[in-house]
Amino acid sequence: MKQKEFLTTVMPFKDKLYRLAKRLLVSNDEAEDAVQEIYLKLWKGRDKIGNYKNPEAFAMTMTKNFCLDRLKSKQAGNMKIVHSNFQNSDNVERKVEAIDGVSLVFQIMETLPEQQRMIVQLRDVEQYEFAEIAEMLESNETAIRVALSRARKVLREEMIKKYNYGIS
Amino acid sequence: MESARIERLLDAYFEGNTTLAEEGTLRDYFTKGNVAAHLESYTPIFQGFVQAKEEVSVKEVTLPESGFRIKGWWYSIAATFLVAVTVGSIVFSNSGLTDEEQEALAAIKETKEAMMLLSSNLNKGTENVVFLNEFTKGSSNIKYINQFTETKNRILK
Repeated sequence: MKQKEFLTTVMPFKDKLYRLAKRLLVSNDEAEDAVQEIYLKLWKGRDKIGNYKNPEAFAMTMTKNFCLDRLKSKQAGNMKIVHSNFQNSDNVERKVEAIDGVSLVFQIMETLPEQQRMIVQLRDVEQYEFAEIAEMLESNETAIRVALSRARKVLREEMIKKYNYGIS
Repeated sequence: MESARIERLLDAYFEGNTTLAEEGTLRDYFTKGNVAAHLESYTPIFQGFVQAKEEVSVKEVTLPESGFRIKGWWYSIAATFLVAVTVGSIVFSNSGLTDEEQEALAAIKETKEAMMLLSSNLNKGTENVVFLNEFTKGSSNIKYINQFTETKNRILK
C-alpha cells in the first residue's frame, strides 16, 4: 500500500481517533501523542489494512487498547490523574469554567468508568450505530446499550445536582 | 405539545433505546433554542456532545520516509543504470573485446612479425651454407696441394 493510498484510507477518521483518545487520556498532548502512535502502528501494518472490512473500526479498537494501556501504566506509576481531575483543587480555572454547564458535562464524563466514557463518546458524540460500537469495543450490542443507559443517567443526575447548584 | 414528544424521547434516550435519528432530533431541539423551561437542565448535555465533536487534532501525523521499498527501488534503478553504462562503454568502444584480449592480439601480431623476420634471416643463412659446402670442396682440394708439396719436396731431395 503506497503512502498516498494509505493516507486517503486512514486520515479521514483522524479527529475521531483523537477525540476518543482525549476522552480517555484527558490531556490534549497525550491524545495527540496517542494519535501519532496509532498512525505509526497502522503504517507499519499497512499491507494488512486492505484485509479489514472496516479500517475505521479497526483503528478505533487500536486507539482504545493503546489508551487503556497508557492509563494502566500510569496508575501503576502512581500517576493517577484521570479520575482526580474533577476534584483537583489547583485547577482554579476549571472551577470557574464549571459554572458553564457544558464544561460541567465534560467534567462529569471524566468521572465515568472508561468503558462508559468510550461508549458515550462513540454514540452521543460521534454517532456510531450500536453494531459499530460493539465491533470497536470488542463487546456486544446489549452490553453497550446497558452501559450507555447507565452513563447517560449518571450524566443526568449529576447535571441536575451540580447545574442547579451552580446557578442558584 | 412538542415538549411532550421530547419528554418521551428523553425517557427512551436515558434507557438507551433511541435511534441515531431520534438522538439527532433531541440534539437539534436542545441546541436550536426555544427549550421548554422544565427541560432546560438537559441543554448542556446535548450542547456538550455537539461541542465535543468540534474538537480536532491540530498536530500533523509524521510517518517515516516511505520505507525501504521506494529507496530500494531507486537503488536498483541506479545499479542497473551503472551496469548498463559500464557494459555499454566496453561494448561500443572496444568492439566486443576486453583490454586483455586486445593486448593478446597485439602480442600475437608482434610475435608473428618477429617470427617472419627470424625466418627470412634463417633463409639467408641457409643460402650461405651452400658456399660453406664450396669451401669444404675447396678445403678437400687443399689435399692436392699437400700432395703437390710432398711431390715437390721429394724432387728437391
